[in-house]
Order: sequence, then C-alpha cells, then structure tokens
Amino acid sequence: MAKVAPLTKIVFTVIVSLWAMLLESPQALAALVAGEALLFAAARVPAASYKAFGSLGFFAALLVGMQYALGASLEFSIAIGLRMVAMTGSFILLFAATRIQDLTAALVRQLKVPQEYAFMFTATLRFIPDFFAEIKAVQEAQACRGYCFGGSLIKRLKNYLTIVQPLVLRAITRSETMAMSLELRGFGRGVTGGYGTSIGLAGADYLALAGMAIGTVAIGLVRFSF
Amino acid sequence: MLEVQNVSFCYKPGEYAVNNVSFTVSGGEFVAIAGRNGSGKTTVTRLIMALLKPAGGRILLDGNDAASLKTAAIARQVGYVFQNPDRQIFRDTVTREIAYGPEQLGFSPAEVERAVDAAMAVTGLTELAGAYPRTLSKGQKQRVAIASALAMEPRMLILDEPTSGQDAKEKLRLLELFTRLNAKGMAIILVTHDMELLGRFTRRVIVMAEGGKVFDGPPARLFAADLDVKEWGLREPAAVRVARKLRELGVPAAALPKQLAGCAAAEGAE
Repeated sequence: MAKVAPLTKIVFTVIVSLWAMLLESPQALAALVAGEALLFAAARVPAASYKAFGSLGFFAALLVGMQYALGASLEFSIAIGLRMVAMTGSFILLFAATRIQDLTAALVRQLKVPQEYAFMFTATLRFIPDFFAEIKAVQEAQACRGYCFGGSLIKRLKNYLTIVQPLVLRAITRSETMAMSLELRGFGRGVTGGYGTSIGLAGADYLALAGMAIGTVAIGLVRFSF
Repeated sequence: MLEVQNVSFCYKPGEYAVNNVSFTVSGGEFVAIAGRNGSGKTTVTRLIMALLKPAGGRILLDGNDAASLKTAAIARQVGYVFQNPDRQIFRDTVTREIAYGPEQLGFSPAEVERAVDAAMAVTGLTELAGAYPRTLSKGQKQRVAIASALAMEPRMLILDEPTSGQDAKEKLRLLELFTRLNAKGMAIILVTHDMELLGRFTRRVIVMAEGGKVFDGPPARLFAADLDVKEWGLREPAAVRVARKLRELGVPAAALPKQLAGCAAAEGAE
C-alpha cells in the first residue's frame, strides 16, 4: 500500500463504498470484505488498525441482530452488516496506510479542495487519537478525586459530565492555541505548496485505477442488467 | 504504610517500564522519586493509585492489596496530584472545584465545607474561593489541584512533577507547602527531576533508571562524590557542583561558605 499514491487510496475508498452500495447479495459483499481483509493483511499498518478492523465484526453482528429483530430478512440483515464493514473498513485502511500530510497534499493539489477545508479535515483526523488519550487522562485524574463510573444510568450520565466538561474546555483552549499558532506561521495566505511530499501517480497507480474502473463497470453492468 | 513489593509492569510485552521495584514509605516521610524521562517513576505512582495493574509483585496500602481496590477508594488514603491540573478542573468556582472530591466520597455538606475551608486555608486559596479556576495562573491552578486532593483528607500525597513550568517563586511556595503538610504528619511522595528542590527539601530520594530502582537514600548520599548521578540522567544541584569544585581547588570543607556547608557534608558523606 505504501507504493500507491494517496490519490489512488482515496479513489479506492470511494470505489469500495460505491461497490458496497451496488452489491446486494451477502456472497458478493462477503467477497468484497474478504478482499479488503487481504489488503489489510498485505499492508503494513499499525497493529491498532487491525484491531479496529476486527472490532468492526462486533458492530456488524450488532447491526445484523438489530435489523433481523426489526423484521428484516436474514439475507438482507447480513448484507447490511457486511456493507457497513466494507465501507468503514476501507476508511480505516485509508487512514492507516496514508500519512496525514500526504492525504492533505492530495486533497489540495490533486483534488483541488480548498486548503482551509482540507486542513480542517486532516486536523480533525489528527485530533481523534489525541482526543481518546485525553479522555483517558481526564478519567484517571477524576478517578483520583473519587470519580466512579457506576450506579444508575442517570447517575452515570451525570457523573460523565465531570469527564466531558474538562475535555470540552481543553479542546476549546487547544483549538484557540492551534489557530493562533497557524496564523503566526502564515496559514490562510492562499499558498497551497510547501507540503514537501511527492504524491504523483506512478505505474502501479494507473494499473490500480484502471482495475477499479473495470470493476465498477462490471459491477454496474451486473447490477443494472439483471 | 505503603509497601511496593517486587513490582513490575510492561506497557508492551517484554519491555519493562518498571522492573522488580521494592520500597516502603511510612507515615510522615518526605520522599522524592527521581530519574530521567521514561525511567518509570510516574509509572510506579500510577501503579500505587491502581490506575495501572502490576504485571508482577504487589502494592500494599496499610496491608491491603492496591490492585484489588478501585482508584476512587485509594484516593481516600492517597491523594494524587497530576502534572497538568487542567485535566481535572471543571467547576465554576475554586470552592466548588475543591468540593468535588469530598462530595464523591460521601462527606456530609458540613464535612465538605469544613474540608474545603481547611484545604483552601493550607494552600493559600481562601481569597480566590469565588474565582473561576480556569482563569487562574498555572501555579494557582496547581494549588487548586493540591487542595482538591487535600480536601479528601488523605494521609499520603503523591505529586507528579508539580513544579514543572512554574516560576521560581511559585516553585518555592509549593515546596514550602509540601514541607508544612509533611510537618503535620502527611507522607509526601514527590516525583521530580528538579535536583535543586530535591536536595533542599526532601529527606529521602529513590532514583529510578530504566525501570529499576538504582538508589534509595538521603540526598546527601546521592550527591556524594563516589556516585555518578549523570549515569542515571541526573545532575547534581549547582551548590553541590560549586562545593565539589572548591574542594578540588583545595579549599577545605570547614572553610566553605555556610550556604555550601550541607553540600560539603554531601561531599564528605563518602
């Protein structure tokens, strides 16, 4: 995956989501998920990403169970679960196998997304792991002050405010600091270069893009011909 | 009494952040845990608070295994002050912020008020009782965090790098506060790599290096000439370095200025 350009990976994510929507049978969707799992195995991504992909199975089972309980057929319920795994899994793969700065560079330079929006998107992505680390730190700090996550649902929700409030306040402070820091470094002057990273398409990318185009046409033909 | 018995902990399999560490801290002690970043000093204190579970060994608090207790229950006996007070502050006034801990422990309103008043008095926050905690200076916020721990009336206080990022005046103020608390019988465990404060205020130092305990004794012994603290990522206080240089130049210990007398004693400890 490291040999493929970020743009190809972005296109792959969109195409897999498209395929997941076009495909209807559980068998075809299972094949798509299996293909994704193979790509995961081949890509050298952080261990946490494998875990995240694996944990999708739990949510998929939950989704299948809910759909079935609400009266959908078993085949349809399984298809819904597999579709969710395929679509979410492709995003996990994209973020695990692409450096954030490469993603930003591809969005701005190749897809012509305004720099501010692209930056906002990637800054949000960077913020997610920090946010989880911050939740843990705040929980620990409050545990040392007697915070206990137990009791009735209402008590738990009320108690959880002691976690949420410092988190929100810190997030606001951090965003203000980040905004100031960016302005001080000239962000927002309309200059889109300077990412210092090579994101050009190579032979493997053209091959992958061609494969995805053929796949999409084939799935579209099968889907709309029968 | 706190007993850390052969405790080990790994964040990653096979990589010991804490390796077979043992020590005890009795009531009324003032102990510093020192070491370079990543030496395992903070991990040890997190293990004491049951924020982490030991992979080996055990930690006893008055004979009870800390691993079997919840952090909230330990907080009743051991107050913990984090390096960054912003992670815990969430209420609109200093008084209400400090009251959170005792409220969680089930103190009656009268007991909460008494505990909060006492904690604010000892930390010098009484005049800031109605202030919005987020707008306070870093030193004042740290004192709010300390008062929050004290209001739970623990017998031991663990402070993780409480002086980092503070100016010299605030550092001194905090250390004087810890000394006062210690004089009243509270055991203090100070995690720090500030050798100046360590040498001046504490009576016992535990040095951690690469997850293990490499020194446990008085500061004077730590800074004795036969020990190379640089090996553990530490540096002697300036006064000790000056005293050492003067001795090298042939100045007898008895002739050293009064302010360096303690450092000369450290030099002579060997």
